[in-house]
Amino acid sequence: MTTVEPRAAQPMELILRQLTGLGAQVVTGGATRGAATVHLPPEALEAATHALAVTEGARLADMFADNGGDVCTLRLVWACGPGYLVTETEIAAEEYPPLSDVAPAAFVEECEIYEQFGIRPASGKPLNRLMLPPHAGPDFPRLGHRPARPLDEAHAPHIVGGQAFEFPFGPVRQVGVESLYYGIVTSGEEVVDLYLLGWHKHRGVEWRLRGSTPDQAAFLAERVEGLSAVALGWAFAAATEAALGVAPPAGAARTRAVALELERLYNHAAATAALCQSTGLTVGQSAAEIALERLLRVNAVAFGHRYLFGVVTPGGVSRAPDAGALRRDLPAAYGELHRAAEALLSTNSFVDRLEATGILTAEQGRRLGLVGPVARATGLATDARATQAPVINARASAVSNARATAVSNARLSRPPATDARGGPADSPYAEHPVTVVTAETGDVLARFQVMLGEAAESVRLIGEFLDAGATADRVELPSGGGAGLGWAESARGEALAWVALDETGRISRARLRPGSVRNWRGFDDACRSQNVFTDIPIIEASFWLTAAGLAR
Amino acid sequence: MPMWFFRGLRRGVVTTRYPARPDGSAATLPTPPAFRPRLLTRQVADRLIAVCPSAALSRQDDVLIFDAGACTGCGRCAQAAAEAAPGAVTPSGQFELAATTREALVKQIPILGGER
Repeated sequence: MTTVEPRAAQPMELILRQLTGLGAQVVTGGATRGAATVHLPPEALEAATHALAVTEGARLADMFADNGGDVCTLRLVWACGPGYLVTETEIAAEEYPPLSDVAPAAFVEECEIYEQFGIRPASGKPLNRLMLPPHAGPDFPRLGHRPARPLDEAHAPHIVGGQAFEFPFGPVRQVGVESLYYGIVTSGEEVVDLYLLGWHKHRGVEWRLRGSTPDQAAFLAERVEGLSAVALGWAFAAATEAALGVAPPAGAARTRAVALELERLYNHAAATAALCQSTGLTVGQSAAEIALERLLRVNAVAFGHRYLFGVVTPGGVSRAPDAGALRRDLPAAYGELHRAAEALLSTNSFVDRLEATGILTAEQGRRLGLVGPVARATGLATDARATQAPVINARASAVSNARATAVSNARLSRPPATDARGGPADSPYAEHPVTVVTAETGDVLARFQVMLGEAAESVRLIGEFLDAGATADRVELPSGGGAGLGWAESARGEALAWVALDETGRISRARLRPGSVRNWRGFDDACRSQNVFTDIPIIEASFWLTAAGLAR
Repeated sequence: MPMWFFRGLRRGVVTTRYPARPDGSAATLPTPPAFRPRLLTRQVADRLIAVCPSAALSRQDDVLIFDAGACTGCGRCAQAAAEAAPGAVTPSGQFELAATTREALVKQIPILGGER
């Protein structure tokens, strides 16, 4: 196993200078607010993508298209250490340079863009069906126009050279698990390959958002992935606010942060319960589910909704948390999770199943653009909460404290320095910096330990936000248009939103990218790494992703 | 495993009955709306229909049709009614919506206020 230390990011100015040398133009007026924006001619797109893919600290965070004008505009969003960079390229033809060859993280988006807009990479390689169902005819709602050729169904032959075969699993799975089809290619027990088909619950959310006001759209944005309602709601609200050039009051931003950390807590408790279920430890599962239920009740008392829906609104928040109830109930609810986790970590039959299962390396994480606990468990200190913060510390250094004993292998480190370019200057995480928890082994146990470390950190942060004052303020959104980028760190990683508003203040294009979208592409790699059938549910629980986020 | 067994015995937790006791947070949780027919007009009803994000409301002449199965309890209708017809829509406080048929979740509310 290879472990790569997080590398220092290049300053944005250096990156922009490098891109300018390749033919890029830095855009100022009409650019995406909240990020640095450059315009790239199509002939420079491949070289610029290659340059960014090998730049230290740069990560392809998203790629999407927009056909608001006469031609399609291809946008790539890069997380460049301190902030975000958006490249814009107008694609007049039906094809554009193949980007996933130089940045493998782009492949899923290449498939999605072909489905929705009919433009494809010039390499001619097969593009998989991703979001639209096979019965999607000419009248099926799309963001652009229908592709010229049908998409490929990524099925393996049932017998591969007499040695391996495809074992179909799903899309209907056990109670409470979302619709998702696994094609498991196996030689009998070992997983040779695995692919996912997740189009069964496509809802066309981005299509539905067009023409709606930000307030109307916020309702759908937080339902893209219900278990990340706060994170997606915040990312969408931040993108809208950036587009209109406003910022929420500081007290409202802290309220968002309280809700976001509560969301992380209950998700990590749910992942703990799922890990117990997948390892057949029913008593541990019950203990974790008791903790989960108590945390959901804390959410209900604090914000009036067990899953924290409706808290974040564009411009601010709809209500303040019940600080007294949080101070009274949260320590006991978290204590339930902590006790369950400690008992689990001292149960050999549990730990043995997690150790060396579903391994991912930091290099895989970087190449595939993974985010959240999955990336951090490989040693990558990727955290959008740190991106929002201005200068905190000039180095990524190890910090030991009491929590480190509870997560023996986890490493706690301050996030790398940032110049806050493009980030909201008044982020609550600027005043109350998050301690990013990382681990090194990249297996299921490392992911579990990262989650436990993060849960402790969330409780600490909530206390600090409440002490500083979490209020129910909101600023009025001004009229007018513009484009903006917003982000938040959900329990499963960075959630991104890009919003363009027309002059009437209605959405002309909104892109919502939950953390699940990035991390599903690491799932098959994790399953292939010398694992057997029965490891797959354990790996899935440790990723704790949603099919809804993929099939939005 | 003995650790888990003795922990369960010590805490005495076996299972819970439904409902063991009302949820302490029930009063603040979002619930489907309750309508007051005498405060509803066609104009008010149309405004409620326009703000409902999940298409749980529709109108047939002087009847407001409310599909409790489609309602997410977001509170937008109550918020809109507070401006247009105060008191016409309030949170029902009802969680127990289970029904044996889908049709039983669809309610017909007569519109009795204003000029019809």
